[in-house]
Amino acid sequence: MKVELENLTKRWGDVFGADSIDLEITDGELVAFLGPSGCGKTTTLLMVAGIYKPTEGVIRFDERVVNHVAPKDRNVGMVFQSYALYPHMTVFRNISYPLKLKKVPQEEMQRRTQQVADMMGIGHLMDRKPAQLSGGQQQRVALGRALVKEPDLLLFDEPLSNLDARLRLSMRGEIKRLQLELGITSIYVTHDQVEAMTMADRIAVMREGKLLAYGSPEELYDRPRTLFIGGFVGNPPMNFVDVEVVQENGAYHARRGGFDVVVPPERGGQAAGHGTVIFGIRPEDVAIADDGVPGEIYVVEPLGRDDLIDVRMDEEARVHVLADPALGLRIGDNVKLRFNTDEAQFFDPETEQSLLWA
Amino acid sequence: MAETVVGAEAGVARAQTSRWAQIKATVGAWSFMSPAIFLVLVFFFIPAILLFVLSMTDLASSNFSDPWTYIGLENYRRLFSDRFFPKILRNTFKYVFLTLGFFNVGLALVLALLTSHINRRASFLFRLLWLLPRITPSVVYIVMWRRFVQTPPYGIINWFLSMFGVERQPYWLTEMPWLFVVLVNGFVGASFGMIIFTSAIEAIPKDLFTAAKVDGASSWQIIRDITLPLLRWPLLFVTTYQTLSLLVSFEYILLLTQGGPGLYTTEVWALTAYKRALKTYFGSHAWGYGAAWGFILVIIGVVMSVVYLRVFRFDELVQEPKIDVL
Amino acid sequence: MTTPSTEPGRENGTRRSLRRAVPYLLLTLSVLPIVIGYAWVIIATFSYRTKGLLPIDAEGNIGGFTLQNWTFVSDAEIWRVALNTFGIAIGMVIGVGFVSSLAGYALSRMNFAGRKGFLGLTLVLHAFRPEMLLIAIFHVLLFIGGIPLIGKFFGFNTVGGVALVMVSLELPLGVWLMKGFFDNIPWDMERSALIDGASRFRVWWEIILPQIKPGLAALAIFNFITGWNAFLIPFTFTLGSKVSNLPVYLNRFSEDTSMVSWNQVAAVGLFSLLPVMIFFIFTQEMLLEIYSGGAKGGA
Ligand SMILES: Nc1ncnc2c1ncn2[C@@H]1O[C@H](COP(=O)(O)OP(=O)(O)O)[C@@H](O)[C@H]1O
Ligand SMILES: [Mg+2]
Repeated sequence: MKVELENLTKRWGDVFGADSIDLEITDGELVAFLGPSGCGKTTTLLMVAGIYKPTEGVIRFDERVVNHVAPKDRNVGMVFQSYALYPHMTVFRNISYPLKLKKVPQEEMQRRTQQVADMMGIGHLMDRKPAQLSGGQQQRVALGRALVKEPDLLLFDEPLSNLDARLRLSMRGEIKRLQLELGITSIYVTHDQVEAMTMADRIAVMREGKLLAYGSPEELYDRPRTLFIGGFVGNPPMNFVDVEVVQENGAYHARRGGFDVVVPPERGGQAAGHGTVIFGIRPEDVAIADDGVPGEIYVVEPLGRDDLIDVRMDEEARVHVLADPALGLRIGDNVKLRFNTDEAQFFDPETEQSLLWA
Repeated sequence: MAETVVGAEAGVARAQTSRWAQIKATVGAWSFMSPAIFLVLVFFFIPAILLFVLSMTDLASSNFSDPWTYIGLENYRRLFSDRFFPKILRNTFKYVFLTLGFFNVGLALVLALLTSHINRRASFLFRLLWLLPRITPSVVYIVMWRRFVQTPPYGIINWFLSMFGVERQPYWLTEMPWLFVVLVNGFVGASFGMIIFTSAIEAIPKDLFTAAKVDGASSWQIIRDITLPLLRWPLLFVTTYQTLSLLVSFEYILLLTQGGPGLYTTEVWALTAYKRALKTYFGSHAWGYGAAWGFILVIIGVVMSVVYLRVFRFDELVQEPKIDVL
Repeated sequence: MTTPSTEPGRENGTRRSLRRAVPYLLLTLSVLPIVIGYAWVIIATFSYRTKGLLPIDAEGNIGGFTLQNWTFVSDAEIWRVALNTFGIAIGMVIGVGFVSSLAGYALSRMNFAGRKGFLGLTLVLHAFRPEMLLIAIFHVLLFIGGIPLIGKFFGFNTVGGVALVMVSLELPLGVWLMKGFFDNIPWDMERSALIDGASRFRVWWEIILPQIKPGLAALAIFNFITGWNAFLIPFTFTLGSKVSNLPVYLNRFSEDTSMVSWNQVAAVGLFSLLPVMIFFIFTQEMLLEIYSGGAKGGA
């Protein structure tokens, strides 16, 4: 099913839960709503589910405006952050509850419930109460309950945030696989950008109720349209340095004090002539080398596979660099940095818009 | 299922909650409210209006067969010019605030705090004992108190006094009528607050106490800094609720002193209203006049509860529903 | 519960146990009048007369035990009255539970015009006490009595009528407490049920009510006790023992007998008190959920 949000707004007095959101989700797609906590992800999701009434705007399922359709008639399944299982019902009754409400015949209900439970790997826990289950199992029950009614749209509200790191990783894969297999259009809310990057077909980045960017993970990663997106997507985050881009002897240079790197013309050309601009480069595009921009190591953070090195080039310019732990770098060491400027980004310091991607 | 709009022009339409949906939600909610509203109408509002109507008639047992005669505000004029009106008003507030302060809220809170600091089984026993007055039929409860205050040889207080060789053994009820009016009501009244407060204390997460203990707080500090602030709402609720309960209660005073000894010594408003309406000394019921007393008391109660609602800002307790649809 | 009475170390043991004894001491002092009073009630019901706390016989000497105060238990009427009492109390429990859990739910969880107004009203309503409205309610019940069929069950001088008035009387408290219970239930559970396809009524009945069972039980106990002891309303709106309850019976009993035997009155009183007391002993733990509704931690 296709979902369309148009100018979707939710207001409580002067508090904006969601502020004129426009977005389209194609059939079978998994879209992640990504943003810091309090930015209106849940509010938007609950409007789509029909729990909140939009203050303004339209929600369309396929071509149908569903603003006034009751939640039970929207045929959506939702998984809550708190799971929201019914504590007084067994696993079986929890999962079969939507079918019972639809007055599905006893036999079919039994069969479908068992089928979904088996698919979720909790088929043997049918007689337990939620309190007797582990977090991961509760999560699966919640998922089963959302799936059992064969919804046209699946809504996930930070479903993995209450699980431990390892379980989160495996559930992440499993949800993605299920979604692909069943082909159900899904909205997946998260504040964890790794989750969004790995699972989503498209990511909607939100802040303070507004939709800041909407695109595929690659698009957001390689072609961030705003300073915020550049800094928000990607981990460890992008480095920003104030520079001036000038053309000299046919080559473009990004410069500040002792910092001087050559940037390819298709990028440098867009940034030249704007005075001071913000130069963005991801830590993985900076390397410690034999020659290049000089700097002094300020902090070394071992991440395991890599060390994250904070290098100070001058008073105000610092960059994070990913380096091989085998180099044995220490605080205070003087190093030289080489920048892979094919991936350089440039932003206008006033408007915070990208100078490269309109 | 509500209407579904198809077409492009709906896209730009502001999806303001349609009038119809709003009406539907309100009707749905009121159907949940309807049994309560029905009872409130039938047993609160209609009687209140009837009471007001009655208070403007001269209906009494002496002229019951006559149709009610409208006499305007005559009953109210009579009421406010009653020689004992100021005294009764003073008595009412004295009774309400002494009982409330010392027992229904004060002692109730002390009891809740004390019983939460002792062995659980023992606390159950103390609460049971404190609840006895409330669950004893009022007639018997008053008989018991009369036994306390009686003259020798029956009175229990005097019996103890004689054991200690005290000579003066009066009839304590006429000696200190107010003390006993407050005691008798207070021993019944304290248990309501005690139960509510204890329950509220039990609902406080144990972590808070543990954390405070780890920080080295003494029992008294814990009560002052943790328990009491968290009891704010139950305290305000019990205060409000019990003020109104006391304001209209007269059963125990009626059975204990009948408003005496002497002229209106312990007579409170509610008792006067009751007596005027249903128990005049001449055996005649002055329903109309009694209704005037009753109606004024209703007004006093409403005014006081509105004041409480404002002062205590009960509207802060009202959270907005987090579901918009019906 | 056992909130701390222990002090951090070092303090010597005697001082500590002394300090622990303080609450016991204070509580014991506070219940002294009650203990003495009820000791007298019990002693009195088994004696002809009492002097202070001592039973005495005709000559004024200690002694004179008797069971004659308890002969009323062989009277069939008392059992019928007891049954009425039970009926009114149960009527209260069910009536208040049902009506106030519906209204409390709507007030706590639904968005509708007039919600805030009614919430304020529930407290204000407590000022409209039937004690003051007795005369007027009398007329209302007479009117209901005139309606065919309904009047037979809920009019003047019926157990149903008395129960209805009693239920109304307890509504302000019931609705207020219920609203508090519902306020503690997580919203997601309810949202989830709505998305699963339940109507608001089903959500209330199947999902939310089971969560506040402890609160419901507490309110039920409270109402049972109130209903069992109701005096003024049954006294005013019933005639004769066919419909009256124990407190009313007791009152009549204490006015009827030309020479009132207070000891016998005390015995009837004790008879009426005992069931509730036993009931309370077994349910006290549940009653203590009356404020939280079972949701530990949220006040
Ligand atoms: N029912 C509500 N009433 C008033 N404000 C709300 C309500 N729900 C959410 N908000 C506000 O709307 C904003 C967005 O909240 P939410 O959608 O829950 O954020 P997120 O899910 O992204 O963390 C927050 O500022 C929050 O305080
Ligand atoms: Mg959220």
